[in-house]
Amino acid sequence: MHGPDVSWYIALAGLLFATGAVGVLVRRSPLIILLSVEIMLNGANLALIAFARHLGNEQGQVFAIAVMAVAASEVVVGLGLIVAMGRRNVELDVDKLRTLRG
Amino acid sequence: MAGAAWVCLLTPLAAVLVITLAGERLSRRGAGYLSTASTMVSFAAAIVAFVIMLGESSDARIHGTTAYTWLSAGPYSFGLSLLTDQLSVMMMLIVAGVGSLIVAYSVGYMEGEDEERRYFAYMSLFVFSMLLLVQSGNLLLLLAGWGMVGLSSYLLIGFHQERPSAIAAAKKAFVMNAFGDATMALALFLLIQHTGRLDFAGVFASSPTHGTVANLIALGLLGGAVAKSAQIPLHTWLPDAMEGPTPVSALIHAATMVTAGVYLICRCHPLFEYAPKVQDVAAGLGAVTLLMAGLIALVQVDIKRVIAYSTMSQIGYMFVGVGVGAYPAAMFHLMTHAFFKALLFLAAGIVIHALAGEQDIRRMGGLGRVMPFTRTVFWIGALALAGMPFFSGFFSKDAIVGATMTRGWYGYCLFAACVLGALLTGLYTFRLVFLVFHGERSEFAREHLHVPESGREGPFSMLWTVAVLALLSLIGGWLQWTQLWHPLTDWLDPVAAPTADPSDTQEWIATVSALVAGLAGIGLAWAAYVKRSVRIPKPVALFEKKFYWDELYDAVFYRPADLISRGLGRFFEQPVIGGSIGDVRDGFRAGAGEVARVQNGLVRAYVLALASGVAVLAVVFLTNR
Repeated sequence: MHGPDVSWYIALAGLLFATGAVGVLVRRSPLIILLSVEIMLNGANLALIAFARHLGNEQGQVFAIAVMAVAASEVVVGLGLIVAMGRRNVELDVDKLRTLRG
Repeated sequence: MAGAAWVCLLTPLAAVLVITLAGERLSRRGAGYLSTASTMVSFAAAIVAFVIMLGESSDARIHGTTAYTWLSAGPYSFGLSLLTDQLSVMMMLIVAGVGSLIVAYSVGYMEGEDEERRYFAYMSLFVFSMLLLVQSGNLLLLLAGWGMVGLSSYLLIGFHQERPSAIAAAKKAFVMNAFGDATMALALFLLIQHTGRLDFAGVFASSPTHGTVANLIALGLLGGAVAKSAQIPLHTWLPDAMEGPTPVSALIHAATMVTAGVYLICRCHPLFEYAPKVQDVAAGLGAVTLLMAGLIALVQVDIKRVIAYSTMSQIGYMFVGVGVGAYPAAMFHLMTHAFFKALLFLAAGIVIHALAGEQDIRRMGGLGRVMPFTRTVFWIGALALAGMPFFSGFFSKDAIVGATMTRGWYGYCLFAACVLGALLTGLYTFRLVFLVFHGERSEFAREHLHVPESGREGPFSMLWTVAVLALLSLIGGWLQWTQLWHPLTDWLDPVAAPTADPSDTQEWIATVSALVAGLAGIGLAWAAYVKRSVRIPKPVALFEKKFYWDELYDAVFYRPADLISRGLGRFFEQPVIGGSIGDVRDGFRAGAGEVARVQNGLVRAYVLALASGVAVLAVVFLTNR
C-alpha cells in the first residue's frame, strides 16, 4: 500500500471537522453555516474513505456516497430557505431568526 | 371431504367480503342474490359431505382437517381445524339449508329498505359464523364462532339503527351473551389446565370424570348454552331481539343460533355425563323455561313476540331432552323446530309486510280470507308446533317427552312440565292463529291491507321459500318415529349415543298424553277465541310483566351499579379528582414555562449544546476503553 499512513488522513479529517464545527459555532450568516456544515461532512467522508482503504473493504466508500447524497439534498433545502429569506428581505443572521424560542 | 367442508364454511365469508368491498358497484338486488347464492353453495357443499359420509361405514364417518396451527403457546397448540362428523354435518345441512331459504326470502322482504347491502353482508357473516361454530374441530374455534354469531346477532338486531329500541335490544342481547361467553371461556381455561388440549376427542378422553372440576366445566359450558339459547335465567334478550327484521328473527332467533346451546351440549355430552348433577340442572332449566315462556306467550300482543316466546319454550323442550340424555331426540326436535319455526316467522313476515309493518295482533283479524296461502302455511306451522299427529313437531317432541320418563321421580316432574307445556303450546299458538286469520276483519286491516293487483300475497321470493318450509314442516318429521323406525338415532349413535332408553310403552304414553294436552289447548283456544263460549280472563299481570325478570335484573344489577357510580361521582370524583385537577394543571404549566426557557431560538446555542455533548461523550469513550 502506498501513500501516507492512515493516521495522517484521520488527523486531516479531524482538522477539517473541527474547522467546520468552529465555523458553525462562531459565524452568524446562514450561508457560511451551511458551508461549514459541508466542511464537517467532508471531514467525516475523508475519515470514512481513509478507513475503507486501510481496512481494505468498500463499506466506507458506500457510506461516503450516501453521505454525499444526503449533503446534496441538505444543501438544496438550506439554500432554498436562504433564498426565500432573501426574497422576503429577512436579515440573514441566525441570531435574529429566533421565532421558535419557547 | 375436507374440500367440501372448507367450501361450505368459506363461501359465505367470500360473499361478505365481495358485498363489503364492492359497495355501490353492486346493486342492492345483486347483493341479495349473491348472499343467497353463496348460502346455497354452502348447502350444496354440505350435501356433498353428507353423501360422501353415507357411502362410508358408520365408524369411518369422522373427518378432521387442519388448515394450519392457529395458536401455539408452550406445550399447547390449537389448529384451525374442522371436524366433519355425523352431528356437524346434520347442523351444516340445517344451517345452510334453512339459511338459504331465509336469505332468499329476505330478497323480497327487504326490497326497498335502505342499506340492503349491509343487511345481506351481515346475513352472510352470520351464516359463516354459525357454520364455523358447528364445524369447528376444537373448543377454542367453537368459542370463536360462538362469539361471532353473537356479534352478527347484535348487528342484525340493531339493523334499524335509527330506532333507539333496536339499539337497546341489540346491546341487551350482546351483554347477556357476553356473560355466557365468559362462563364458557372459564370452562375452557379449566379444560386447558386439566387436559392441556381443546380438541373434542382429546378433551373427552382426558377430562376429569367426576368431582368439582368436572362439575365446574359442565357448569361453565351450560352457562354459555343457556345464554345463547335464551333459557332462564339468561333469557330476557330474546323477546327484545324481535326488533330485528323478521327474516333475522326466523334465521337467528328461531332456526339456528338460539339452538346452538343444544348443539353444544350434544357435542360435549361426555363432559356433561361426567357431571350428572349439572345435566339435571340443564333439564330443570329447560322445563322451567318451557312453562314460563308458554305462560308469557299467552298474553303477548305482538305477533313476533308470541313466536319468540314459543321459541324459548321449544328450546326448553330440547334442553329437557339433552338434560335427560336423549341427544338424538333433542337434535331431531332442533331440526323440525328449525323448519316450522322459520315457517311461522316467515309467514308472520308476510302478514307484517302486507300490513305495512304492523305487528300488534289486536289490530289484525280476519286476514285468512284475503291471504289464503299465508293462512294455510301458518296453519301447517301451527299444527307442527302444537305437535299434532303427522306434522313434524309430533314426532320430535314426543320423543323428548318419552325420554323424560326414564329418570325416576325427577323425570316424572319433567314429564308433567312437558305435557303441561304441550297444552300451553296448543293454546297460545291457536290463539295467534284465530286472532290473526279468523273472525271479523278488523278496522285496521280493512284500511291498511294491500293485496296487489296480481293477487299474490307477497313477492315471489317470499312465497316459494315459505312453501318449501311448509313442505318440510309437513314431511320432515317422518324421518323418524322413535317407536317404529329411527334412522336419525342410528346416524348420530357414534357421536351422540343417547343415555336415555325409554321403553315402547313409555313412548306411547308420552305420545298420547302430549297429543291429548295439545288438543285440549287447541280446543280451549277455539272455545275462547272463535266460539267465545269461554270467557277470556283478564290478562294476569305476572304474565304481562314476563314474571318480572327485567325488573329483577334492573333492581339487582342496574340500580346498585347506578347508585355506586353516582356515589363515587359525588363523593370521590368531584372533590378528589375534580378538586386536584386545577392544581395539577397549574404545576405542569409552571414547570413547562421554566423548561421552555432552554429553547431560546438561538441556533448557535443549540449547536454548542450538541457539540459539547459530543465532546463529553468522546471523552467518556476515550477514557473508558
